[in-house]
Amino acid sequence: MVAENKTILVVDDAGLVRLYYRSILEKAGYRVDEALNGLEALERLATQPADLLIVDVNMPQMDGFTFLRTLRRQGPPSGGIPALVTSTEAQQQDFAAARKAGANYYLVKPVDESTLLEHVALLTGRKP
Amino acid sequence: MPLIRKSGKDTPPKTESAQPSDILRALVNGDADARWSAARSAGDLPGGVEALANALPAERDARVREAMLTSLARIASPQCVNAIVPLLRLDDASVRTAALDALRAMPDAVRAQLPALLRDGDSDVRILSCEIARTLPRADATALLGDVLASEPEANVCAAAIEVLAEVGGPEALPALDRCAARFADSAFLKFAIDIARGRIQAQSTESHG
Amino acid sequence: MAEFAALTEVEFRLLCEFLYRRTGMIFTEGKRYYVERRVVERMTATGSSSFAQYFARLRADEPGEFEQFVNAFTVNETYFYREDHQLRCLTKDMLPQRIRERDPSGPLRIWSVPCSTGEEPYSIALWLLENWPLVDNYEIEIVGSDIDTGALEAARAGEFGKRALMRLAPDVVDRYFVQVDDQHWQIIDDLRESIRFGAVNLVEQRETRPYGRFDVIFCRNVLIYFDDASRRIAAENLYENLLPGGFICLGHAESMSRISPLFEVARYDDAIVYRRPDDSRRGNGG
Repeated sequence: MVAENKTILVVDDAGLVRLYYRSILEKAGYRVDEALNGLEALERLATQPADLLIVDVNMPQMDGFTFLRTLRRQGPPSGGIPALVTSTEAQQQDFAAARKAGANYYLVKPVDESTLLEHVALLTGRKP
Repeated sequence: MPLIRKSGKDTPPKTESAQPSDILRALVNGDADARWSAARSAGDLPGGVEALANALPAERDARVREAMLTSLARIASPQCVNAIVPLLRLDDASVRTAALDALRAMPDAVRAQLPALLRDGDSDVRILSCEIARTLPRADATALLGDVLASEPEANVCAAAIEVLAEVGGPEALPALDRCAARFADSAFLKFAIDIARGRIQAQSTESHG
Repeated sequence: MAEFAALTEVEFRLLCEFLYRRTGMIFTEGKRYYVERRVVERMTATGSSSFAQYFARLRADEPGEFEQFVNAFTVNETYFYREDHQLRCLTKDMLPQRIRERDPSGPLRIWSVPCSTGEEPYSIALWLLENWPLVDNYEIEIVGSDIDTGALEAARAGEFGKRALMRLAPDVVDRYFVQVDDQHWQIIDDLRESIRFGAVNLVEQRETRPYGRFDVIFCRNVLIYFDDASRRIAAENLYENLLPGGFICLGHAESMSRISPLFEVARYDDAIVYRRPDDSRRGNGG
């Protein structure tokens, strides 16, 4: 099955996390871009659109929630990109905060391969 | 020639002649712009660090908070560290990461508190503190983060320590990495991260080929 | 001649991640050669016997090694019309935007800091005179500042060698330079006298503040070398020296994402630049 090439922007300040997601996602046929914090993600999206964002919360300069809120305020097209938020926190309030900031889904770290692929497929409209 | 040169120096902005007491008052009572300006100059005033420390927890404007943190990071006294560390515990991610950025800018000042922070009861504080350890010299960072890996129960804290060790770590960290891998044998991500960290640490060991 | 082995895959990744984290620069496989070459140059210069030893020096910034390494990638050679894509952006997008938004009274103010020996502020002046159709409609003030007073003196003198002029068309050189001897040209008096040069330390608010507020600041290839604390202070100073909605341009290898959250990204055809937000224009929810 040839799948269209969807681009995923991974936003996480941990290089090993970005590398891990990249290895999983590229093997599954996605194109992967990276950003180390919310500011860089905004800058990347200004030149290079993405079909999905995977966004960590704790990042320097601009955290994931602030990034998402800023992005959503921009309006279409980049403002509407679906977003998977990842975080170490697992409380109810964190899920709620993520949704309020504009996340489509919230995954607790460390994210395993099948969970990641399942949610990415869902949000990019691809069959997993 | 449409290019003009003003003769002499520009007149400084009108806010130049504020009294210290005005500045400290503006720190709490002014509008956002006034608080921002006050935050930038308060650090140099008598009682300024204390005023910044008191105003910091209640400040809601991100830009003003950043300016307060910058002033504290510049002075970098133990009092400044004590003012910032509590922010690591707050629920608001933007405040936590702002505090982390400030502490990272004052490595010498925060060093004394790092061992305790790495054993803090709040796992988020431990995660953020691993990142602060990146600013330490290799031997110190390796020792502290190696300790973390030896006994840390939370996978995400170990992940944070491994992330930093991959860049900073000396070969003394390798046994701790191995033991951590054994403890978290069921975590594919940690296995992945540890493998890479091992390779990068070995690349930095001067015994390896040049 | 001593031969050093090229970097292993792991060494290359380690170095790239370190540089990416610190500067935002991304080195793909295609740029690998340039990275390796620079590593070899610096290993030789520092007498490092292994990559490991060199990387330790680089991380510890012993002393000034980080700047030495990175400046191979920031293109520090000064010449006229360097990074002309930013100059194109200036006349095509930034100045028109400023004209639309700002208070019409008072000149358009442009700051070149650090200005080094003057190529940048003079370039800006030449570019505006040659390429901006509206140049005669506005008063324009260009200020050049640097921490190096020797460089400032040279900037005021306005004498340049052939190499600095290599990107200028002959008729531009004829119009704005006087040949002093067969190796040197000097900027014409009219132009030299219309640019103000002054000393500044970007990390000292009491030095930056008196320069007032600008419409556009060119601050290229200096913030990348500051430590964390100094970057924060300098970014705040530069913010203070910008009018709301004013623009700041960095070097092509730099990114605000590694420096400060104070500025917004402004993307144009020719360049990505940054702006001080203009809160008065913002709707609610800012």
